[in-house]
Amino acid sequence: MTQKNPEASRLAPAESNGWKAAAEDRLFQGRQLYEYIDGGAELYISYGFKYLFSRTYTRPGQPGITLDLFDMGRSQDAFGVFSQSREKIERDAGQGSEYAAGQMIFWKDRYYISIMGQGETVELKKAVFEMAGKISNDIPGEGPLPTIIERLPGKDLVPESVRYFHHYVWLNSHYYIADRNILRINKKTDAILAKYGRGMKRTVLLVVEYADEKEMELARADFMKHFLPDAAGRRAVRIEDGTWTACGSRGRHLAVVFSATAEAKALRLIDDALMDRK
Amino acid sequence: MSDTVHTRRDFLKNAAATAGAGALYLASPEDLAPQAGVKSRVVLIRNRGLLDAAGSPRKEVMRQMLDEAVASLMNEKDPLKAWQRLFKPSDAVGIKTNEWNYLRTPLELETAIRARIMDAGVRTSNIGITDRDVRGDDVFGRTTALVNVRPMRTHHWAGVGSLIKNYIVFSRLPFTYHGDSCADLAKIWEFPEVKGKTRLNILVMFTPLFHGTGPHHFNRKYVWSYQGLLVGTDPVAVDSTGVRILLAKRREFFREERPLNPPPKHVFLADTRHHLGTADPNKIDLVRLGWKEGSLI
Repeated sequence: MTQKNPEASRLAPAESNGWKAAAEDRLFQGRQLYEYIDGGAELYISYGFKYLFSRTYTRPGQPGITLDLFDMGRSQDAFGVFSQSREKIERDAGQGSEYAAGQMIFWKDRYYISIMGQGETVELKKAVFEMAGKISNDIPGEGPLPTIIERLPGKDLVPESVRYFHHYVWLNSHYYIADRNILRINKKTDAILAKYGRGMKRTVLLVVEYADEKEMELARADFMKHFLPDAAGRRAVRIEDGTWTACGSRGRHLAVVFSATAEAKALRLIDDALMDRK
Repeated sequence: MSDTVHTRRDFLKNAAATAGAGALYLASPEDLAPQAGVKSRVVLIRNRGLLDAAGSPRKEVMRQMLDEAVASLMNEKDPLKAWQRLFKPSDAVGIKTNEWNYLRTPLELETAIRARIMDAGVRTSNIGITDRDVRGDDVFGRTTALVNVRPMRTHHWAGVGSLIKNYIVFSRLPFTYHGDSCADLAKIWEFPEVKGKTRLNILVMFTPLFHGTGPHHFNRKYVWSYQGLLVGTDPVAVDSTGVRILLAKRREFFREERPLNPPPKHVFLADTRHHLGTADPNKIDLVRLGWKEGSLI
């Protein structure tokens, strides 16, 4: 489908290192995204996706390139989508990027962008980087990160493990908690998950910011009832796999540590995450 | 569905009773329902010479792998006899393939399956191959038997693109099965056009995708030349075995426990909730043929 002149279309270059725009541009809005992404549309929709502008490029004798520009509405959500599959920290384009095997993914302001080569050649890699650089430069300003990120203690943090979301499926994706949304994560909550330490088993910190204190208390009560029913007033419990789970709250914020190797370590992470930042 | 909440801790309690199941059941905290009867047989066959330098399957090697796997599955020495036990000349056979742009069922494999079904005596006009058109295809409208064949890959919303999931297009409204990470995909196997018809499930493990990035959930960095096929009559057992291989690859690649995201709960709920087959490795008779190095299982 074609629509005229969405803002993102102005960011898409006509040409890059000999690759020229081919076929018709396509625009997908709302649930139309299901037509374009087989099985993957839910990720973007859960982050408040506005529209996707897609353009293909060809150059004779070279693999094709597909440019997908997602307008996520808010920079926080563009970062959130990007954070879902990030494996390393790079900044070759935008406010964060990742390149692998002919594919560049990056985010800047409210845009999440994928430039995907159908193969990888020296020339294609050059075209992908050139295109990413141009788009990045043409997006006028940077957008803010989710403020909840500031709650993550820096010591031993694995930066590429940081995931931001507001749909409970993404919590279970990265660290399975329960088959129900016992932490009441929804569109009105901000949640951040991160790993700490190195090695096969890492400590996981989850911080959730609720709309108000009452909502936080309900979530905390649900979590304690279903996940730590044996806490008996304690802040940390050693669970069945021998690791420690700890839970704490302050104001609208709830922090939970999973898979900690020691009680003190779990409690320290909780306290650091909930520390007053004023 | 019950109102009981199943947490990670419930899984950990159950895991103690199913040692070694580890990360496999993390996705499915429900108790594993005991399955009556014998173990489900799954044949894993690999050949390090399957793929050529361009990554395409060598037809003869692939055909031999398919025959050996089917013969082993059916406990037959002669592969043709095995195919003849699976399909009768009177059958109308639908081969449900998968045409996902980035990792489709190899056309060469579709052709080889069709040829063997013809060798079993089924007329060409009674064999259909399709992915998206199962509801419109002439042969699929009158099938007496189905072959389910697709590549194994991770999936944005379902955890894995599985054999169980491959039948989602039999539904008029596939998106209605997307809830709760596609938890109840096995329900589709109760549809009259599907129920009891699948004679053979083939999970293509030539170059499985073990991790996805970007809008199309694909990057060549995250496929590897496993050069295998998983074959069985129990789709849950075959999928479960495929999931274990993907998990092992992720552990090896990322050097940490890295469960699939989202969890492929539909595979395990196909066992525990829908009783379509068994996902429990202890109840799967895994037969390994061919190349063993790097099998990850």
